Amino acid sequence: MENLKKVLKFISSMRFAIILLVILAAACSVGSLVTQNQTYAWYAARYSERTAALIVALHLDDAFHSWYFILISAFLCLNLLLCNVIRLPSLIKRTAKENTLRSRIGLWGAWVTHLGVLLLILGFSLGQMTHREYAAYGVPGQSMPIGDTGLVMTIDDFRIDLRADDTVEQYTSEITVYDIARSSEGRSASLSVNNPADLYGLRFYQNSTGWAATVNIKKGDEDLQEAVVCAGDYLVVADRPDLVIYFNAFYPDYVLVPGQGPATMSSKPVNPGYLYSVYYQGQMLGMNVLMSGEVLTIDDYSVRFSQPQSYTLIQIKKDSFTSLAFAGGILILLGLLLSFYVKPRKPEAKETEDASS
Amino acid sequence: MLQVENTLFTIVMISYFVAMIGYFIYIAAKKEIFFKIAFGIQAFGFVLHTVAIICRGIGAGRLPLTNQYEFATSFAWGLCLLGLVFMLRFKFHVMGAFIMPVVFLMIGYAAMQSKEVRNLMPALRSNWLGFHVSTAIIAYGAFGVSFVLGIIFLLRDRLSKHGFLDQHIPDKQKLDLIEYRSVALGMLFLSFTIITGAIWAERAWGSYWSWDPKETWSLVTWIIYAVYLHLRIRRGYKGKGAAIFAVIGFVCVLFTYIGVNTFIPGIHSYK
Repeated sequence: MENLKKVLKFISSMRFAIILLVILAAACSVGSLVTQNQTYAWYAARYSERTAALIVALHLDDAFHSWYFILISAFLCLNLLLCNVIRLPSLIKRTAKENTLRSRIGLWGAWVTHLGVLLLILGFSLGQMTHREYAAYGVPGQSMPIGDTGLVMTIDDFRIDLRADDTVEQYTSEITVYDIARSSEGRSASLSVNNPADLYGLRFYQNSTGWAATVNIKKGDEDLQEAVVCAGDYLVVADRPDLVIYFNAFYPDYVLVPGQGPATMSSKPVNPGYLYSVYYQGQMLGMNVLMSGEVLTIDDYSVRFSQPQSYTLIQIKKDSFTSLAFAGGILILLGLLLSFYVKPRKPEAKETEDASS
Repeated sequence: MLQVENTLFTIVMISYFVAMIGYFIYIAAKKEIFFKIAFGIQAFGFVLHTVAIICRGIGAGRLPLTNQYEFATSFAWGLCLLGLVFMLRFKFHVMGAFIMPVVFLMIGYAAMQSKEVRNLMPALRSNWLGFHVSTAIIAYGAFGVSFVLGIIFLLRDRLSKHGFLDQHIPDKQKLDLIEYRSVALGMLFLSFTIITGAIWAERAWGSYWSWDPKETWSLVTWIIYAVYLHLRIRRGYKGKGAAIFAVIGFVCVLFTYIGVNTFIPGIHSYK
């Protein structure tokens, strides 16, 4: 019992808090200096085999999710919780003794700050553990299911607002989301960068954009299939599942730079070039650039790329603990304000207007 | 407007340099008149600096707080402002000789950056950016003052051999208190910076915290100053220990601002 008390006293102590903070700062620093979430081969190529082994062994490749980082954070939460619980009775007593409202409130600064940090860590950690994240991309007119939510999203419109110098001012997507199981009527929203939209408890963010093209496949003289394919995506030939056309990249104003490869002169699709590769039974047969109007022939099949257009990538997220984390943040600000500017002044800390006196 | 800003910026740089020399002369000559001249030049430079930043904002058609040059010049502005405030508030005149070299180095760093005005990418077009960066300017300025005070604290004994400085530098207890005041201000504003940045990041990138190097280093800085505040409460650490942390904290501030942008790529690496 005595030992337990000693342990609890240490865990709730300021000394322990300082030790944890210093270790946390060190762990954060190292984590920021090592590029995160790369493979062993990547680290070995960048540093050396020995360093790569050390990085992986010490979980520095994913420092912010490592067992020791979680352990330090957990101990910090425990420290803050115990500290606040232990201090609460004496704080209430001291508050009762203070004469003015200002002094009474001011006494709670550190306690409120600690509570804020605790809520912030809890909100962030719980959010990390429970959040759901989906991505949906396509061109106007396309619909797609949103993960396992049972919702379907239709992209009604996608605009890229350009300035006079061709730089992008804003990306805007108009979407409608349907809860098909409940109603045939959807809910619409407009979202742009910095202006997410909330629908059905999910938050929709305008994430990025890219190029898409219409891929037309003919077998002999007959139209076999036509689909809009985004760059980075592939199309399986309808009657030959072992034959796949992969749309690697799009060059709106194609130019072949000697020694460097394909490039684009501008962002306007004035001379479209489509970089593709063909896979047969999982093996790459070849890769090349197809210009607008050109046809790729593979046995009986002829493939044509056309109608380049921008697609929108929408990030969809549900994090029920964001508000808890932000409540923690507000408490931190409030607590610091109380601590620094409302706190009852101790006689020895009284400022002298003339510091040199 | 941008041409006016350019001219004003040059005058500001010269003013800060002259003010710095003026403060050195004040200490060497031990005459109050030189303080008044140096202080006047610093204040004049500061007013022009404010006008220059406003001109930049008008010329660019947006808040002038979005690239390395704009933040560097605003950082120097914040340092100068907080330097003036603390000098006046605590009547600590010789502090000018210690703060002005830091201000001059920062505006010198700004002068080395590209002054080109570029259009903002969509993610940077947010009102939260204004709150995020302007609170950072005050925070960094206050931490710059605490750094200078930490240095003065650590050199206090050596400086006391110089009779004039001994008379005009507060005793260690008061130095520690002024340093605490500047750290407290910086800590409050750094917290605002991190929280407004998190709100902005959530709206722009869909995640309020993604362990981006700059986010991480601002957290490291926050932790260092949190340690500072806790150390001051512990017996025996007030004074020297706290002063060392005030110095380390500002090194972290500089790394967060310059080091991360230069050495570690991330979403904050807007050039």
